Amino acid sequence: MSQRDALDALVEANARALGLTLDPAWRASIAFNLHLILNHAARVDEFPLPDDAEPAAVFHA
Amino acid sequence: MLDTPAAGLDFATVADLAAAVASGRTSAVRVVEAALTRISARDTVLNSFTAVTERRALARAEALDDARAGNQPLGPLAGVPFAVKNLFDVAGLPTLAGSRINRDQPPAARDAALIERLEAAGAILVGTLNMGEYAYDFTGENAHDGASRNPHDIGRMTGGSSGGSGAAVGGGLVPFALGSDTNGSIRVPASLCGIFGLKPTYGRLSRARSFPFAASLDHVGPLARTARDLALAYDAMAGFDADDPVCADRAVDAVAPLLERGADGLRVAVAGGYFKCRSAEACQAIDRVASALGVNRDIEIPQAERARSAAFIITASEGASLHLHRLRKRARDFDPAVRDRLLAGAMTPASLVVKAHKFRRWYREQVLKLFTEVDAILAPATPCTAPSIGQKAFMHGDVELPVRANLGLYTQPISFIGLPVVAVSVPLKPLPIGVQIIAAPWREDVALRLAHALEMKGAVAAPRPAL
Repeated sequence: MSQRDALDALVEANARALGLTLDPAWRASIAFNLHLILNHAARVDEFPLPDDAEPAAVFHA
Repeated sequence: MLDTPAAGLDFATVADLAAAVASGRTSAVRVVEAALTRISARDTVLNSFTAVTERRALARAEALDDARAGNQPLGPLAGVPFAVKNLFDVAGLPTLAGSRINRDQPPAARDAALIERLEAAGAILVGTLNMGEYAYDFTGENAHDGASRNPHDIGRMTGGSSGGSGAAVGGGLVPFALGSDTNGSIRVPASLCGIFGLKPTYGRLSRARSFPFAASLDHVGPLARTARDLALAYDAMAGFDADDPVCADRAVDAVAPLLERGADGLRVAVAGGYFKCRSAEACQAIDRVASALGVNRDIEIPQAERARSAAFIITASEGASLHLHRLRKRARDFDPAVRDRLLAGAMTPASLVVKAHKFRRWYREQVLKLFTEVDAILAPATPCTAPSIGQKAFMHGDVELPVRANLGLYTQPISFIGLPVVAVSVPLKPLPIGVQIIAAPWREDVALRLAHALEMKGAVAAPRPAL
């Protein structure tokens, strides 16, 4: 499966799972943006962090 | 100047206007009428306002003049007109947040917290301002209201998403305005429109009754034409507000009285590595500011590119979560460029988003260590001067990048961990460009002192456009 086909499949599966109705004309742009996000995510994901690293989400008990 | 006809009020500062009203050299009604006249005359070109609250503004101005006549005390911003990005609630108006969808919302019942605080200090709201849809934008373009236009070249972008705020202040329609900054949306338009912007520390100014975007990154703050005016507006707005869950309950010291301390004793460095300028104009701006401050050292902000990536995906996922129900029901009513980014954000795996939040804490700890060595760090605000409206890409060094997602590539790694920043304007020809002065958390005073010192040295200024 090509990268483009994999992205298209990811968009399709996510749209179904999230209950989103997509116009076919939007799919290329959504796939482009998802590709961009996943590239940024890969840059973060490859950075080693210890198992006890805490997320920085704001929550106060 | 201030007791001459209304045109004499053009480009007057917040400080000058408040002093003139307080002393009786002019009246609040006259100041507001002059602002309304400028809006009427110039905004057909700049397209910065989406609503003008003329009746409300004149009523407030009359009340303020009556108070003065009755020798009642006036606030520090007496009679100063201002406007707000249209994601701030204004009683009686729907809060558009740059969208078509929100036009169907009922009018807001109460003003945003910061509007209430500014008006309690005597400032007078004159309207709401154009912005990129739902603040997911660095261009200042808007599919529903049209692009706000750069006062220095109306064929060029204002930058976004507080584009109307940049145009209105840059064009001299109002002396200051409010914007929001999730990834750079105050600093980018300040840079492109040739004005000053303050993105305070995360949690410093209340976001209560403003429309959110990415909650863990959302800040609000002022745009103005001088550092002193930023400080005056900031001082009027700072303070705890229980209506914003992340607003900090900590002491606030007024910063305006500290400005004359200038740069004395402050250690400053230029950010290297990722932040190294790659255009002639960004390099010229950084060099001018660094030279004026006598800065001769660089400092590396570690993993800044990765920080920008982490901010990118947190923004995408938090923004998508906010709008998921609207994407299900009204996807066709979004600006297509925003919709497709949000839809992609909804599809981002949660495991990768959580990793970005973990990285965020690690990165914060590393960057805070730098502030044991320096008090402030200089970095470009934008990679280039204002692109043309409709332009889709720009050159960053020898790499072509999409405009919409990348005008904030220097601002994102900073707001990611909530550091306070003042964007100062370097008035290059033909177009201005900004420099970020970045300080440690809660040290807005440091960034504003340096900005003021740079103005006094003539290195930075808000240039007047030829409108």
